[in-house]
Amino acid sequence: MRRTTALIGAGTAAVMVFAGCSAGEGTDLGGASDALVAAIAGEPDQLDPHMTTSYFSFQVLENVYDTLVEPDENLEMQPALAQSWELSDDQLTWTFQLRDNVTFHDGSPFTADDVLYSYNRIIDEELSNAWRLSAIEEIVAPDDHTVEVQVSQPSPNLLSNLGGFKGLAIVQQDNVDSGDITTHPIGTGPFSVDEYRSGDSIVLVANENHWAGKPDIPGVTFRFISEGSTAVAALKSGEVDWTDSIPTQQVEGLAAETETLTLGQTPSNDYWYLALNHNKQPWDDVRVRQAVAYAVDRDAIVQATTYGTATANQLAIPEQSVWYHEYNPYSTDLDAAQTLLDQAGITDVTLDLLVSSEYPETVTAAQIIADNLEPLGITVEIRSPDFATWLDEQNTGNFDMLMMGWLGNIDPDDFYYAQHHSDGANNAQGYANSDVDDLLDQARTETETDTRKKLYADLATIVADEASYIYLYNPSVIQAWVPGLDYEVRGDRAVRFRDASFGG
Amino acid sequence: MTGRPRSLPAPVAAFVRNTTVRFLTRRLIYSAVVLAGVMVVVFSLVHLVPGDPIRIALGTRYNPEAYEALKVASGLDKPLWRQFFAYFGNAVTGDLGVSFRNGSPVTVNLLDRLPATASLAGIGLVIALLISLPAGIWSALHEGRFSDAIVRISSQFGVSIPDFWMGMLLITLFSSMLGWFPSSGYTAFTEDPVQWLRHVTLPAVTVGIVAGAIMTRYIRAAVLEVVAMGYVRTAKSKGLEPAVVTFRHIVRNSLIPVLTIAGIQLATILGGVIVVEVVFAWPGLGRLVFDSVAARDYPMIQGAVLLIAALFLLINLIVDVLYAVVDPRIRLS
Repeated sequence: MRRTTALIGAGTAAVMVFAGCSAGEGTDLGGASDALVAAIAGEPDQLDPHMTTSYFSFQVLENVYDTLVEPDENLEMQPALAQSWELSDDQLTWTFQLRDNVTFHDGSPFTADDVLYSYNRIIDEELSNAWRLSAIEEIVAPDDHTVEVQVSQPSPNLLSNLGGFKGLAIVQQDNVDSGDITTHPIGTGPFSVDEYRSGDSIVLVANENHWAGKPDIPGVTFRFISEGSTAVAALKSGEVDWTDSIPTQQVEGLAAETETLTLGQTPSNDYWYLALNHNKQPWDDVRVRQAVAYAVDRDAIVQATTYGTATANQLAIPEQSVWYHEYNPYSTDLDAAQTLLDQAGITDVTLDLLVSSEYPETVTAAQIIADNLEPLGITVEIRSPDFATWLDEQNTGNFDMLMMGWLGNIDPDDFYYAQHHSDGANNAQGYANSDVDDLLDQARTETETDTRKKLYADLATIVADEASYIYLYNPSVIQAWVPGLDYEVRGDRAVRFRDASFGG
Repeated sequence: MTGRPRSLPAPVAAFVRNTTVRFLTRRLIYSAVVLAGVMVVVFSLVHLVPGDPIRIALGTRYNPEAYEALKVASGLDKPLWRQFFAYFGNAVTGDLGVSFRNGSPVTVNLLDRLPATASLAGIGLVIALLISLPAGIWSALHEGRFSDAIVRISSQFGVSIPDFWMGMLLITLFSSMLGWFPSSGYTAFTEDPVQWLRHVTLPAVTVGIVAGAIMTRYIRAAVLEVVAMGYVRTAKSKGLEPAVVTFRHIVRNSLIPVLTIAGIQLATILGGVIVVEVVFAWPGLGRLVFDSVAARDYPMIQGAVLLIAALFLLINLIVDVLYAVVDPRIRLS
């Protein structure tokens, strides 16, 4: 559950907010004169990367911290604080060679002890990302620049667990012990935190000693502008250089304004889904679940929740992902749905649909789903409690159907095992299929990438056929920036200004 | 009766008998009692909300260890009466606890937001007075005329316009189109007074127009009431200059209700004009409350409510003192 929580937490924030930042022209908000000004849609709750679940925090921390490895634009893991690594023949020991001469922002050296401290902190204090390190048996440091990670079983996804996002950042123990990390974190990343103005902004300055080279941009000021119309106005007037605080209904219009801004849009690996409770009648009948899958109008949901900026999908992840597998069994087809219900002998049934008011898209989608299912004689009763209650209801199985999202997905193990394995931590719908269990167990330890892809493709097909989850759509990452800024939108929502530059 | 009556030294006795001092003492005691009552309510907040505040506050970060840790850290594991006296005692000494969200002291967080809030409230009130005093007085003195109708219709507009819409309109016009003012954000006065003024202008105008429209209607009514008084007619009929009648006889005597409404408007803006602060990304108290409610940060919500109540009382106290200055009869009542 903790894993789900973390993902949903991070994802939620991601979905809720479009952050923006702007580059220096015409801004007089302090900091370096040609620093980039980025408007994000809310204030971080805190800046301790191991404790926060807020997307706003991670937008800032992406630029302050490093991980051992990090995802490139295709979400494949590349060297970061670790310059290389080796895997033992039995696949159980990963040896990471750390970079020399890396320092924290306060000048203290970065060593293997910092890696040990950071990972042990997450594991020992059972922080929200501890599940990502669950395969680890022991971590040792043979010398200052070597870290050995022993795992209990072959773990092809270890790299994405260690470096997928900055929740696994390498922190400094003194900074944690002093308590300063919540407002003045000290990392090894491309920018250091210079000033935090409560309710207003966080000012970062470039780290001249960063291992990847000094960033082109001398600094980044993250301003908190939750009102999207204001952020867009600030972007157009040059007060900010970048923003993701963009009302979705304005996206279409903004895309045409190529003179004043550049709009970047890419499907994310986040997905929103429905799950029927397999432990309750009549939803235990696969035909009934398939009927629901046929009746749902994904295009209408995408239109209503995101003004058409998301991409409808029948599987978890979008076409752009290396793990994508094309399979579209369910076109919206009420006749097919009715036939399946007739075969199952179902007429006039009530469905308790659990969504959360903290995720407004689920409430919007629920109304459309209720409308979609009504012609089939399925009466939908929508409940939309706060998210803590939603989690409790999910965990106690008190629902007929629920809607939620999984966010920050990188490795397929992240988004299949916990959800669809009969022992999965997040298999709240109660799905159990021994073939699926075998595929998941096998894929989890399969180190040959092509074989692993095939296993997950087979698995995805079964999951869709049996409607363990009914997948709905992948939201897009939408960001806008001033024309002079050289910047790329990433599908994992990481906002990385290290590689950005002006005058591109 | 035998024996000498006990008496205070003469200067002290005079001080105690001084009506102004007695009036102020009464108001101070009254404020303290109200503040104590607010503290009881604020303390009860955590215990009255449905559900377990710690479970809700932790939300997605919930696990049994975190739950216990936060419960102990926030003192919610102690008996209720001990919690109350601890809260009361700490609050009196300025310690309002630590935020559930990031563990930082609530008092520091609140004080961080005060300069921005005070800037917006101060400038907003000045703008409101600049609008409402001339408009209200003019309109009352020209009752039933065309200019009165204009003022009444405009003020009705001002009262009715949603401040969200007004804010966006000002941003579009003065920031996007004309580029005169920044659309959002805040600069401290101590850092750069010019930038401070540029940043505060649009949000203060938004707040000031709404507050000014409300105050215009009150001022007009107050002035109309005085105009109908016999002494005004007397003053006019004995041939005094119209300006003297207007300012000495009419305006001064209409000031009491003006003070009341100005005080309420100021306190309201200080308490946080959430919509305006959100539209202009203004780092004031309102947004802090808004974010804290969203995050269920109970200590922060409690502290903010307490601070806002204290500000309200302080302004009421100041208004009371000003009453006494403006109208000596009030001291004696």
